[in-house]
Amino acid sequence: MKRICLFVIGIALLLAGCGGSSGSSSSSKGGHVNIVIWHGYTQAEATAMKVLTNEFNATHPNITVTPQFYGNSDYALQKVLAAIAGGKPPDISYLYGSWAANIATNPSTVNLTPYIDQFGWNDFWPAERHVATVNGKVIGIPALVDNLALVYNKRLFAQAGLAPPTANWTWSDFENAAIKLTNASKKQFGWAYVNDASEDTVWRYWALLWQAGGSILTPDGKHAAFDSAAGLKALTFLQTLTQHNAIYLDNGSDNYLGLFTSGHIGMLYTGPWDLGQIIQGNQPYGVQILPADVNHQTISGPDNWVVFNNGSAHVKAAVEFLKWFTSPAIDLKWSLMTGDLPIRAGVTKVAGYQQFVKKYPGIGMWVQNLNNATQSRPVTTTYPRISNVIGQMVQSVLLGKAQPQQALSSAAQQVNGILAAPS
Amino acid sequence: MLPLDAPPKKPGRKLPFSPWHLFLMPMAAIMLLPLVWMVVVSLETAQQAHSYPPVLIPSSLHFSNYPAAWNTLPFGDFFVNSAIYALTTVAGNLLFCSLAAYAFARMRFAGKNMLFVVFLATLMVPYQVLLIPTFLIVKRLGMVDSVGGLIAPNLCSAFGVFMLRQFFRTLPIELEEAARIDGTSRLGILFKIVLPLSLPALATLGIIQFMWSWNDFLWPLIIIDSTNHAPVQLGLSMLQGAHSTEWNLLMAGTVMSQIPMLVIFLFAQRWFIRSIAFTGINQ
Amino acid sequence: MTARAERSRAVRLERPPVWRRILWSEHLAGWAFVMPAFILIAIFALIPIGWSLILSLQNNNLLSPGHYIGLANYKALAKDPQFRSAVGHSLVYTVLFVPISVAGALGLAVALNRKIRGIRFYRLAVFVPLVTSTVATGIVFLWLLDPTFGLVNYILHALGLPQQQFLQDPNEALYCIVAMTVWSWLGFDVIIYLAALQGIPEELLEASEIDGASKWTTFRSVVVPLLGPATLFLVVWSTINALQLFDEIYVTTRGGPLGSTTVIVYYLYEQAFQFFNGGYGAAVAYVLFLGILVVTLMQLWIGRRRVYYSS
Repeated sequence: MKRICLFVIGIALLLAGCGGSSGSSSSSKGGHVNIVIWHGYTQAEATAMKVLTNEFNATHPNITVTPQFYGNSDYALQKVLAAIAGGKPPDISYLYGSWAANIATNPSTVNLTPYIDQFGWNDFWPAERHVATVNGKVIGIPALVDNLALVYNKRLFAQAGLAPPTANWTWSDFENAAIKLTNASKKQFGWAYVNDASEDTVWRYWALLWQAGGSILTPDGKHAAFDSAAGLKALTFLQTLTQHNAIYLDNGSDNYLGLFTSGHIGMLYTGPWDLGQIIQGNQPYGVQILPADVNHQTISGPDNWVVFNNGSAHVKAAVEFLKWFTSPAIDLKWSLMTGDLPIRAGVTKVAGYQQFVKKYPGIGMWVQNLNNATQSRPVTTTYPRISNVIGQMVQSVLLGKAQPQQALSSAAQQVNGILAAPS
Repeated sequence: MLPLDAPPKKPGRKLPFSPWHLFLMPMAAIMLLPLVWMVVVSLETAQQAHSYPPVLIPSSLHFSNYPAAWNTLPFGDFFVNSAIYALTTVAGNLLFCSLAAYAFARMRFAGKNMLFVVFLATLMVPYQVLLIPTFLIVKRLGMVDSVGGLIAPNLCSAFGVFMLRQFFRTLPIELEEAARIDGTSRLGILFKIVLPLSLPALATLGIIQFMWSWNDFLWPLIIIDSTNHAPVQLGLSMLQGAHSTEWNLLMAGTVMSQIPMLVIFLFAQRWFIRSIAFTGINQ
Repeated sequence: MTARAERSRAVRLERPPVWRRILWSEHLAGWAFVMPAFILIAIFALIPIGWSLILSLQNNNLLSPGHYIGLANYKALAKDPQFRSAVGHSLVYTVLFVPISVAGALGLAVALNRKIRGIRFYRLAVFVPLVTSTVATGIVFLWLLDPTFGLVNYILHALGLPQQQFLQDPNEALYCIVAMTVWSWLGFDVIIYLAALQGIPEELLEASEIDGASKWTTFRSVVVPLLGPATLFLVVWSTINALQLFDEIYVTTRGGPLGSTTVIVYYLYEQAFQFFNGGYGAAVAYVLFLGILVVTLMQLWIGRRRVYYSS
């Protein structure tokens, strides 16, 4: 009995001793402010984060920024929601652009509109500014920008006797190449498409829709507009390639990249995040803008740094840090260390930018392609549901389980239902 | 293999080994496949680790992935945090679940059945909806970003109570009744008679709880902010990027993280598998 | 008088005469034993469960303050066709997973409960999938079952059998998940059965052999009934778990293809953490909870009548 009591007391002491948050919470003391920034960076980006925050802390004696890892992808949202529920969100957090409209409903999300002039707001790419703005309010500072471009295997093209893609390529050039590059006996595919019905499936389709001259929703945002001739054309484009078995359907684990670097796939629609591995992969590759139907539009998926209100001193310090962090000179350092695209046009004019382009062969094409990212996805609280519907629609066509017209009409009906429901 | 060491051959057997091997070998192969894959990838270069279909026979073995993974992140801290977390929750569960399970198995008290159902009910709500309120409670107790915060919600689980209750009920009650007549207290019966007879069940609960704590990822993610307080699985996720992962390093880290569990299992087998040979049903 | 009644009378005569005092100390002792566990579970499980009940009565996106809408979430659930198909998927999964894994584990445990060379290695092998992280398991299975590059289709091809789409086929995906989770969880059931097998007295087995019973008959009429409590436990526990399946779906199919592997908890997750519909997700959790509770109570009730406890 005695032993049990001692044991229980021991546990209680252990818990008490282990308890208490230890320096990770932000605080301010007589002019000095400690702020916390949450991110999901790993590897090169995590290192870059540490290097740059150390530099900031050294050059800004009144502010200390502590970066903290919050998990990756969906898990991050749960942690952020828990922190918000607990009344103590981080001062700054990296949040996906697709969450922006919902994050804006949170009362402690800081409205950054009064500060944007200090950032040189118009220097940021249009797609970024669009994703950071919800109902006219700016709630985020751009954290990342990317876009989809065409990456192709030069060796496979030569083997098939095909001329490499040019800036004037059309959908029929692409179809022709994809079919020629497909060889079932060699387990070789002309193209790859991520087919897990997630946003990764959906946003590629949006690029095709826009290239055919279509749009996602009507201008008032109240009805679906993708079930047009353009939408049908884009789905049929996918169906044709599927019928030739020219597409490797990736199940979401991004195996397409390993297949590309081992020479099993001829062409990819992908972004700068895959470039590191493609460079390592030793396949001779080229990068080109996406082929056109009516135009060469591409899609960009920016993410935001969102600032949460932990008091005016913290907000000021957070804005100070973000201003420094997104300034052209510092962002160039970031891009050099990570291979991420420059966050603003001004970076391309900084001395040393050419180093960046040389260090990551092909990256220049993606930067150029940012000019083709003229449209963006709607920034609404209902977008995740819309995405879910479109994902199923595209997946059903890629799996050969539905005809494009029927899939399109059914999806439009569902989307209209979502848009009509009271929020 | 000396003849003295080999198990006695039954008359009529044609094989030099037990026929059970013919079944157990393929079974083991199927079970071990992912671990084999993980070990192979952990010994490959980054490029080989990224190729698809996977390279199963690397041209050379890169043991350097192991120290590389260890040095990239504070794995020493991760292991210590996980060890404290796992061992404390095992001890807590063994103690608290034994007490409660004994009461449910052998004692009569008002509201017992209702209470048992309430205990079971706590296993029936999906954890996704419980993460945030649990976080709020632990925060209220002031244990955010600490190992204590990891441990507190996991000190006692209805699973252990349920499992031990079933085991206790299979024990012959005569021993306990005899001790009762002799005047031993309830607590004494539990600790001197029931628990010693329940070593297999306790060892099993210990292994399972250890494994759950060791493999826990989501709760640590929610409650821990600083890297040096992270347990192993959370730490490993820092090797996993949103778009690209260094699989060879991640697998080296993962293999390292699994070794303690396998060691504990081998070690604990002596308690939950008695080495008394059974006649009849075995050979 | 039967031996049991005799003992009982002896115990009663032993007790102090005050009936109230006896009952009081027995009840108190019972609650005292249960109290530590109860306090911990009350704080860390019951309160959160209560919180999520409240959440289910709200329209709440977990970002801005919610407002109460009474039972509207539940009413919407009753009419929700996607929820209904999620329930269907969960039931199909459970009805396949529980019997296969429990029966399979019983057979495997018996095979592993012997002294042959290397038995420790075989037991370890069965334990390995259990400790392998879900992420690693998902990756390996996604590769094994890849229609073009996977090992399984390669073997099927070598055997002259038609290629399958597995996790990319809406008609096959759920069954692949059954296979994957049985593989993962078998070790869990096996170690429970192994522990339970230790509790079977050798005298009973020897007696059965001496009576001339074959090994199979001994197994069926002595071992299996004595494993009743463990079997009940595993059936109940596996059912509770199977109905809450989530992690394996999350790391492989994400509810697809075409929603064919969207089980109840995955649907909950989509609602709460992708569509920002926290209140609705909590309502799904509660309906699931009630379903599991009913099923478990039924199982326990059946178990009460049929499971033999050696005392």
